[in-house]
Amino acid sequence: MDTNADIFTLANYGLSLIEQKSQEVRCAELFFEKNKYISIEIEENSVKNSELGEDNGVGVRVVNRKGALGFAFSNKLIKPMIHELCITALKMMNASTPDPDFDNFPKPYQKYPTLKGLFDGNLKTLQVEDSLDYVNQLIDVCEQDKMAISQSGSFISNYSKIFIFNSNGLEVSGKDTSCSLSSHIIVKDDVSKETSFGYEWQSERSLRNLNAVNIANTALKEAKRNLNRKKIKNMKVPVILTPKGTIQLILRPIASAVNAETFQYKRSYLVDKRDEFIGTKYLNIEDNGLIDGAIGSSIFDGEGVPCKNKKIFHKGKFLNTGLLHNSYTSTKEGTQSSGNASRSSYSSIPSIGVTNFIMQNSDIGINEIIKDVKKGILFDYTGDTPNISTGDFSGLILHGNMIRNGEIKEPLNETMVGINLMDLYKNIEAVSKEYKTYGAFQAPYTLVKDVQIIGGAS
Amino acid sequence: MDLTDDLKVIDEKLIKELSNIAKDKIEYWDIRTGVNTGATLDFTDSKSKEISSHYVTDCGIRTFVNGGWGFSVLKDLNRKSILSGFQESIKLAIFTGSLSKNRFKISQRDPLIKDFKVSPKKKIEEIDIVEKINLVKSHEKLASEFSPKIKNTHTLYIDGHTNSLFVNSFGNHITQDLSFLRLFSLVYTQENGSIQRAVNSIGGIGGFEIISTEKAEGLSLKTAREAVALLKAKSPVGGKFTIITDPKLTGTMIHEAFGHACEADLVLNNDSILKDRIGEKVASEEVNIVDNPTMGQGKRFGMPYELFGCYFVDDEGIPSQKTTIIENGILKNYLHDLETSSRMGVSPNGHGRSSSVSSRPQVRMGFTFLEPGEWSTEDLIADTKNGILCEDFQYGYTDPSTGNFQFKCKFSYHIVNGEKKELMRDVSLSGMILEVLNKISAIGNQTSYSDGMCGKGGQSVRVCDGGPYIRIEDITVGGLN
Repeated sequence: MDTNADIFTLANYGLSLIEQKSQEVRCAELFFEKNKYISIEIEENSVKNSELGEDNGVGVRVVNRKGALGFAFSNKLIKPMIHELCITALKMMNASTPDPDFDNFPKPYQKYPTLKGLFDGNLKTLQVEDSLDYVNQLIDVCEQDKMAISQSGSFISNYSKIFIFNSNGLEVSGKDTSCSLSSHIIVKDDVSKETSFGYEWQSERSLRNLNAVNIANTALKEAKRNLNRKKIKNMKVPVILTPKGTIQLILRPIASAVNAETFQYKRSYLVDKRDEFIGTKYLNIEDNGLIDGAIGSSIFDGEGVPCKNKKIFHKGKFLNTGLLHNSYTSTKEGTQSSGNASRSSYSSIPSIGVTNFIMQNSDIGINEIIKDVKKGILFDYTGDTPNISTGDFSGLILHGNMIRNGEIKEPLNETMVGINLMDLYKNIEAVSKEYKTYGAFQAPYTLVKDVQIIGGAS
Repeated sequence: MDLTDDLKVIDEKLIKELSNIAKDKIEYWDIRTGVNTGATLDFTDSKSKEISSHYVTDCGIRTFVNGGWGFSVLKDLNRKSILSGFQESIKLAIFTGSLSKNRFKISQRDPLIKDFKVSPKKKIEEIDIVEKINLVKSHEKLASEFSPKIKNTHTLYIDGHTNSLFVNSFGNHITQDLSFLRLFSLVYTQENGSIQRAVNSIGGIGGFEIISTEKAEGLSLKTAREAVALLKAKSPVGGKFTIITDPKLTGTMIHEAFGHACEADLVLNNDSILKDRIGEKVASEEVNIVDNPTMGQGKRFGMPYELFGCYFVDDEGIPSQKTTIIENGILKNYLHDLETSSRMGVSPNGHGRSSSVSSRPQVRMGFTFLEPGEWSTEDLIADTKNGILCEDFQYGYTDPSTGNFQFKCKFSYHIVNGEKKELMRDVSLSGMILEVLNKISAIGNQTSYSDGMCGKGGQSVRVCDGGPYIRIEDITVGGLN
C-alpha cells in the first residue's frame, strides 16, 4: 500500500459497497491515515534507544437516516479488510440508537485556506542519524554542568498523510510533519544532597526551528531553581503563573470548557456565562488554526471542514461565538462548524479539539511585573487539573518559588493552591510581553492577585 | 479471517533465519506480535455516541548491542516486512550502541516455551453486539432514574481479545490468548447551580462474566448515589490533619507515591529518592509492601475472573511473581525488567511491561499491595480525635525524585471525637512519601483493591493496587477555604 492511488481505489470501493449494502444509510465516511515516525531516547544522559515505526489505518463511519452511528477501524489497508470493516460498521449502525440531532456529514467545500510551513521535506526523508546533532546538544548541556547528574529526553519526528472521503462527495487530503525535543534534567546539591528536576520541550513543524541548547538550558535552569525546597505557612498572596502555569490553569481549562460538546451537556463551568464579562481586560483568547508553520494549524479538520481563526475571549468577555464545534455540535446549535473536529487517529471518531489556542500577551516585561510583588508565589506547574464542571482548582505546586521583595527566592515543598477559576479570571492583574508556545498552546506570564496558598509548614 | 493466521508467519524457519542474521551482530533480540480485536460502546443520556469494532495487528522488533537498543514497529505482518524490520532494528541497535556510554550485557536466561490462555466462562466474541448494547442501556437507565438531580449519565464499555506471540534470542516461544473487559460509569448531578460528578469503573481479564458480579451490576447505581451525595458535600478547610485512608486510597498512595520510586529504571536514572537505600529502614516497622501480579488472585477478593493488573508473563517473557518491596519497614527490592536486573546484578522479577507490542517495555508495577495489620476499621475511627476519613480517589501523582505527592480523594468525612461526621468533596492530600510512611500510626485488618490504568513515558498499562484502612498523622490537606 504505497501509493495514494490505492487509497482512492479503497475509498471508492468502500463507499460504493456501503451504498449497495444498505438503503438506510444517510451518509458514510472513510478516514485514512498514514504515519511514519523516528524517535531517539536519552536515558542517564546517554543515547539509549532508537526507534522507527509506522502506523497506517482506516476508520469507517456510517450513519443511518435516523442518525444512528456505526464505526469500525483497522490497520490493514487491503480490500478484504475494507469489505469487512464496511459490513461491521453497518452492523454497528443497525444496532445503534437513533439521534434526531444528527443531520449529515460535511458537504464539499469550494475553498480551503492556503497555509505555509506545515510540511518540511527534510522530515519526510529523515534518517535516525540525521537527528544526532540535536540529541548530542542536549547531552552536552547536561554533561558540562557540575550539578546536573542525569538527563532523560527524546527527539521524535513524524510524517503523516490524511485522506478523508465521504458520501456527500467531500474528498480532501493533506500531509504534514512535526518534530519535537524534550529534556528532563536532574540536579543534585552536593552539600544538602537534595535532588530536583526541570523539564522543557519544544514541538515544531520544521526541523530548523528546534533549539536543543535552549531546551536543555531551560530544563537545567528550572531544575536548579527548584533545588533546596522549603515548606511555607498558609497565606493569601499574588501568584505569577509562568507560561506553563498559565496554560495549565487558564488555557487548558478554558479549552475544555468551550468545547461545544461539554458545553451542550452542561458539564462546563462556563455554561450560562456567554456574552458576560467574567475576567479582567487581560483575558484575551483566540483559537487560530491558520498560523503559518504552527503546530496546531491545519487546512482542514478531522471531518474535512476548513480550519479558521476564532475569538473566544475579548477583554474578559466570553464571546457568544466562542465555542469550538465539530459538524455534529454545530448542527445541534444551528450554526456552522468552527473547524475543530479533532481525531487523534483513524481509530477514533471525531471529537472536538483546539487548533492554536492563544492567550494574548501585553507590552510589559515580566521583570517589571515581578519587581512589584513584595510577597508572592511563582507558579510553574502542577500535576493537577481543575474540575471543569465546577471550576474548582485545588492542587499541589510541583514547581514553584516564593517571590520576596520583587525577587524569585526559595522553591516550595508540599505547597498547595486553592482557587475557583471564575475568581482567578477576575483577579488577573497583568500579563507579560514574554510568551512561550508549547504545542498548540501559547501563553504569557500571568499575575493573579489574592490566591489562597496552603503550606506544609506547621 | 482466522485471527491466528497473522501470527503463523513467525514459524520455526523464520526464527532460525532471524537467529542467523542476528548472530555476530547483536547480543539480544525479541519480537512481539499481536492480533487485537474488540468493541467500544459509548453511551450518553441513553443514546449511543460510539459503537465500534476493530481489528488491529502489530509487531515490535527489539534488538540490543553494546548498551544500545533498536526498536522497529510494523503493522503489516508478513515474512518480508518482518525480515526487513529486523534488519532495520539491528541497524538502529548498532547505531545506538555506538553512542551509548553505559556498557552492559543482558544476562542470559533459560528459555521459556509455553502457551498461556485465560478461559472465560462467557467468551466476549460470542456475545452479540445487541446484548452488549442492552447491558449498557440498562446501566444508563438505572443511573438516570435514580434521582431527578441526575443531569447526565455516561456509560462506556470496552472489551478486547488479544492473541500474541513472543520469541527471543534466549529461545523463548510464548503464546498468550486472553480477553479483557472494562465498564465505566460517569454521572453528573446538578442542584442550585452546583454541578458534581462521580466516576466508577470495573475491569478484569476474562469474559462477559466480569459484568455479572454484584459489584459490576451495581456500578451505575453506586455512581449515581455518589454524584447525588456529593451535591451536599462541603469544600474542605486546608491545614494539617490526621487522616484515615480506605483500601482504595491506601492502594493508590502505595502505587503512586512509593511504587514508582521503586522502579529500577528511575533508580538508575538518578530519578528516585530510593536510590542506594536497599536494606535501609524507609517506613514504620509495621509496614509491609509487596507487588504480586500473579494470576489466580480473583478468588481472594471474591471475583470469578482474573484481576485487571495481573499477568502470566511480562512483556519480556519473565513469569510474574511476588516481590517483597518493604518488609517490616526495610526496603528489600526494586522492581526490574531485563535491563535493570542485568545491570544491578539481580534476577529480573517480571516488571518489564508495555502498553502494546508497538511500544518498548519499561519497568512497571503490577498489583501493588500494603499488607494488613490488626486494627478493625471501627476501632481506627473511634480512636481518632480530630481527623478526616478519606475514601476512594479521583487521581494522584508524585515526583519520584523528591517524593512529593498529591492525591485527590473522592469522598471524605470529618472525624470528631471518634465519630464520622459531615461529608466533604475534593479533599487533596499532599506530603513527602518517606515522611508519610513513617507517620503511619495504625494499620487495619480489612483489605480491598482497585483496578485501573497507569501511565508512564506515554504508555498505559493495566494495574491493580490495594491494602487495608490505615491511619496517617500530620498530613497536609488542601482546600478552597
